[in-house]
Amino acid sequence: MRVVVSVPTAVLAAALLLGGCAARGDTPSPAGTPTPATASGTGSAGPFSATDVAWLQLNVAMIERLLPVLDLVPDRSADPAWRGLAARVEEDHRSALARSRRLLSDAGASATNPHAGHDMPGMVTAEELAALRKSTGRSFHLLVARHLRAHLTQTVRVAAAAQQSGAHPVVTALAAAAVQEGIDVLAQLDQLDQLDRLDPDHPPGQRERVARAATRPTHHLVLPAPHRTHI
Amino acid sequence: MERAASNLGTRHRLRLTMAIGALLTLLGAYVVSTIDRADAAPGINVIRVAEFPADCAFSHRLPDDPIIFPGLPGASHMHSFFGSRATNAHTTLPDLVNSATTCNPRVDVSSYWVPTLYRNNVPVEPEIVTFYYLGEGVRDDVVARTQPLPLGLRIVAGNARATGPADSIARWSCLHAGHVPPSKNFVNCPAGTMLESYLDFPQCWNGRDLDSPDHQSHLAYPVNQVCPASHPVPVPKLRQVLRYPVNGDPAQFRLASGPGYTMHGDFFNAWPAAEMARRVNDCIRPVIKCGHDGRPL
Repeated sequence: MRVVVSVPTAVLAAALLLGGCAARGDTPSPAGTPTPATASGTGSAGPFSATDVAWLQLNVAMIERLLPVLDLVPDRSADPAWRGLAARVEEDHRSALARSRRLLSDAGASATNPHAGHDMPGMVTAEELAALRKSTGRSFHLLVARHLRAHLTQTVRVAAAAQQSGAHPVVTALAAAAVQEGIDVLAQLDQLDQLDRLDPDHPPGQRERVARAATRPTHHLVLPAPHRTHI
Repeated sequence: MERAASNLGTRHRLRLTMAIGALLTLLGAYVVSTIDRADAAPGINVIRVAEFPADCAFSHRLPDDPIIFPGLPGASHMHSFFGSRATNAHTTLPDLVNSATTCNPRVDVSSYWVPTLYRNNVPVEPEIVTFYYLGEGVRDDVVARTQPLPLGLRIVAGNARATGPADSIARWSCLHAGHVPPSKNFVNCPAGTMLESYLDFPQCWNGRDLDSPDHQSHLAYPVNQVCPASHPVPVPKLRQVLRYPVNGDPAQFRLASGPGYTMHGDFFNAWPAAEMARRVNDCIRPVIKCGHDGRPL
């Protein structure tokens, strides 16, 4: 009898304790569920600022706009360097997308994206995507390079601002990682772009070296240890 | 009906006065018979439009938006700023309060911004920029209890994400060419006229929030000329009117946010509270057209 009583009491106590710290979004809500959207939610490492939320929402919108471009590369390019670079960027971006969405959920921010369907700097437009779908070979590479460069340049610009002005340590760490990744990929893009412009006279083996570099795992995807479990 | 009630109120009030009251009754009867609400009118020559204006010339351009992208310079499409000269991505209310302004009156240090208009990819700024604060679009009794716009209010009107005219409240027309029908997208204005943009901000406040996550839902438009229960506080309707020194083929034009129907306006209220309150009290509630100084014209 005593056991029967004590179990619900313990459950209740645990629920109250959990409720106390989970009330403001430690429990991620299912994606797509509109939550009371304020910028005052607190994750496990402190409150989210308006800058944090704005950057996360923009990051989600920008990544979602780039993914269809990257998806075209395996079908429209036989070049291992390009395929490798696209795969690397896609993997990094999908991971950043998942983290950004989870952080937005932690922040209690709206799942409705205020930037969806809106052409912002660095975003590929519907017309540009249609043009990409019609191109192949070198012209396809040049177009992808242009769009990827515009996207990454804007990503680095805005993520650097978020790194500086953001409040939540996990958000600023994610922004720092986006800056570093963007800079690295832009450098590789410069090399690839040069090859595409010089093609087919570049020295033998150079293309392969760039391809290997493009697929090399990157160190900065690992975030600072204290925050790693939360994202 | 309203006139009768108003007349009664006037008489009731005048009954409390003495000799001079009798004179005023005669005058009042004349005024009541010619205008809607004589009890609030300080004189008979006022223009019965609830309005006070701020004319705020172009100040600067930046790809910043302190409402949508606070703390993130460069995150936005290009904006043209009017009013406060200080606005950038990091701007907060104290920055505005202490800033210089392009507005007439100078007391208005608010910030107003819109997506930049481009003609053949060259930015064009409006030459005539007026922000009207109006008491219209709601019933007279609602106008009569208009509250001041709260200091620090941030609000975005229009739809930057509009994908067509159907989900837009933009209005483009031609100054001095009324025969050209207004449109939600750019219109072809005759030579010698100016392309103009009208945008009305919502005028019903939830009485609580200076901003909201979508930067719109703390205010609402009236329904059947009344503020809805969710947004019960009537505030002046801000009407943004921009006149651009361009005309002709609309194909030359684009906004930084896209086609003409993506026109939107951002407003960050920094009117000194007393100046705003005085204008609401002297111009909006009694339905009197005021000048830049907030005095009857």
